[in-house]
Amino acid sequence: MTNSPAPPPGTPRSRIADASLAPSGHQAIEWARRNSPVLDGFVRNKVNDGSMRGKKVAVVVHLEAKTAFLATVLADAGATVVAAGSNPWSTRDNVAAALVDRGIEVHSTRGSTNEMWEADLLRVADSNPDYIIDDGGELTIRMARDKPDLYAQLKGVSEETTTGVVRLAELDRLGRLPMPVVAANDAALKHMFDNRFGTGQSTVQAVLALTNLRMPGKRLVVVGYGWVGRGIAAYAHAMGARVTAVEVDPVRALEAHSDGHEVADLLTALSTADMAITATGGIRAITTRHFAVLPPHAVLANAGHHDHEVDVPALIDQADSVDQVRPGVTRYRLGSKPVYVLSEGALVNIAGGLGHPVEIMDLSFSVQALSCHYLATNNLAPGIHQFPAELDRAIATAKLASRGITLDHLTEDQTDTLSEILDADTFHSWGSTGDSQ
Amino acid sequence: MTTSDNADAPDTAVGRNMIDFAADFMPALAAATNVVRAAGRLNGRRVGVALTLEPKTACLVEAIASLGADVAVLGSSNSTRPAVAAALRETGVKVFAERGSSPERSAELRDGFIDHYPEYLIDDGAFNVRRIHDQRRDALPSLLGVAEETTSGVRPLRNMAAAGMLEVPCLAVNDARTKLLFDNVYGTGQSVVMAILDATNLQMQGKVVVVVGYGKVGRGIASMARGLGARVTVTEIDPVEALAAHHDGLGVAPLMDALVDADVVITASGIGYSLIADHVAAMKDGAIVAVGGAGPPEFDPTMLGTLTEPLIWGDTVRDNIQELRVPGGNTVFVIADGHCANTSAGEGNPIEVMDLSLALQMRAIDYLAANDLPVGVHLLPKEVDDQVASSQLAAAGLAIDTPSAAQIEAARTW
Repeated sequence: MTNSPAPPPGTPRSRIADASLAPSGHQAIEWARRNSPVLDGFVRNKVNDGSMRGKKVAVVVHLEAKTAFLATVLADAGATVVAAGSNPWSTRDNVAAALVDRGIEVHSTRGSTNEMWEADLLRVADSNPDYIIDDGGELTIRMARDKPDLYAQLKGVSEETTTGVVRLAELDRLGRLPMPVVAANDAALKHMFDNRFGTGQSTVQAVLALTNLRMPGKRLVVVGYGWVGRGIAAYAHAMGARVTAVEVDPVRALEAHSDGHEVADLLTALSTADMAITATGGIRAITTRHFAVLPPHAVLANAGHHDHEVDVPALIDQADSVDQVRPGVTRYRLGSKPVYVLSEGALVNIAGGLGHPVEIMDLSFSVQALSCHYLATNNLAPGIHQFPAELDRAIATAKLASRGITLDHLTEDQTDTLSEILDADTFHSWGSTGDSQ
Repeated sequence: MTTSDNADAPDTAVGRNMIDFAADFMPALAAATNVVRAAGRLNGRRVGVALTLEPKTACLVEAIASLGADVAVLGSSNSTRPAVAAALRETGVKVFAERGSSPERSAELRDGFIDHYPEYLIDDGAFNVRRIHDQRRDALPSLLGVAEETTSGVRPLRNMAAAGMLEVPCLAVNDARTKLLFDNVYGTGQSVVMAILDATNLQMQGKVVVVVGYGKVGRGIASMARGLGARVTVTEIDPVEALAAHHDGLGVAPLMDALVDADVVITASGIGYSLIADHVAAMKDGAIVAVGGAGPPEFDPTMLGTLTEPLIWGDTVRDNIQELRVPGGNTVFVIADGHCANTSAGEGNPIEVMDLSLALQMRAIDYLAANDLPVGVHLLPKEVDDQVASSQLAAAGLAIDTPSAAQIEAARTW
């Protein structure tokens, strides 16, 4: 317990930093609500059909204002929500306090040790949740290992990230997934928007805010051209950077080339880089053999899932000196050559910035809320399930409607059906008959 | 009189590191300082620097001090970085800047700065040169020249000159191509858009953004916002600039019409009263207002226009975001109280852009010292502009061509 004052009645089990921070937390959550029209409208109405009443939902996602708003929507629908952070460093203490103030059980403090964080997750497990909204499978995997009885009672899991879906599929392969899992990450409204636009914008934003450097004219290397790499490259290019993409996959490399970026192997690309951002989802993308070719004053940052895409331990080994020169900017001197690493190689948009824009998380968390509701209202078999396409479409429709945007629809004579071709006496050549051209 | 922040002493080491980090990305300033050092003209001179007080301007201040000049610095209450001010004080520079100082205290600081009796003044917005002409004429005889940083400062200087009121030679550093085409376009464009995103945690994708004014700053803001996925509409009073916005693929409309659909309204006019209370009343509920031009009164919510009731300031809903309500109507969110978003809610323009502007300032005060310029508003000569641009190109490892004899001849022929 870190100076935790007596928690308010009704939430005796919470562990937060400071309950008096609640007012600013409420304000932060209200800002998220105001900019989350889908979650606050269409999704709120849909989950409010009574099916969530009395259900216990564990929310284990980076615990800041946007996540907190998701928790309140579920709580407003009658669920009992228990929340913890998916990372020891990303929790906002004021937001945690505001949730407790609303009667939601929270186990999280910012900058807690790994042991405390693990203990928090187990306390969430002890609350005996029916459903988990998970990030990286952090809670699900721990329950499988440490709380087998409670794990067996889980009714469903909705998973937020690519990494988590892979982990849970592996659990399934091992025959240790007794409940249905919805791969919320794989929803179109999640990965196409969150990973590309959300990470793209917020990464560029964090790099510039941390360094106060200029994007126009920068030679930027983007390592990995998946959804995240595409987003970063597109925004940096739009702001005037010269982007070089590095890939191991020829199709993605060709895509980067077709998008107007340079494509090169990593050593060649890094040798003229002003900045390099990793977005591979793997580890040690930039490591010992690469540091040697970097020009002086190169800036390195990571936008991929793991904290080890930039091999900071190897850099520390090689460096003659290590200094924090600005908040979130560490300078490593390799001989006389300084290179900089942002946020010590952790996810730069979360560790060094505000995380994703609110509107992006409105979409992602709408997927999560509906995914949880889908689990609660359907008797799904154990195993990994896709997020239903009609719910993807419903979220997109609600978002467009909130912007006052209308869609077109096809009329019957605009549909090209195979049966028409098969049943026709002669093959109809469009445009060759009639005088209406 | 110098000042110090007594409460919560800022971390001098943090300020020092930030200044040194910036210096590493300012090759043009380093080159300009070497040129000026070789000339030796600023040794022992009193120089006043009135710029946003943060790491980049601190680099300029330290570079001038390194020439043997006696430097005083003035920073504003809403943009001064206390840690940077503390680091500068430690080097012996006279610093007149306190973050969050009251209007009365700010006036005292300004007078203390003018009491330094600068011979050469780097001014921003012509605030000090105007004050010296108006209320502090005692500082006029010792003032040998002024280098002005911004569009909105050059304008009043030219107005003063035209009215026969200007009494010192001034250099319109702002009008140098290496300033105007970079600082105003790329620097302010990036920093204003990023400051809005950092303050709000919102996305730019799909936003309807209205940019008021399509000068250099408006162009930069519009281009950055569009690059990040916004749909941009420009409002203008100049038909040529409006036609340029149209050719750039942007919407063009009168302000009152454009405002109705705007998610974000950014002023970039550099002119007072460009956005006032009745404009606010025409906006959507929840729209965001930011100033990218010259600060108050560019956005003046106290000027009612067609409204009869004043607007009401509400809560600070996030750091740097204030609610502003129309009685019985909509609420908008104002970034940094209507001060320049990039310097008040962010760290100002990027380092490499300020490298150019501040290198020009360094050359400008030397040029004032080297030449007995008549009273009036002057431009920096082209060769100074070219040298500053060349120094940053060289640092980036970029080379350019020189015209052949035939080309030179062809360019002269008629």
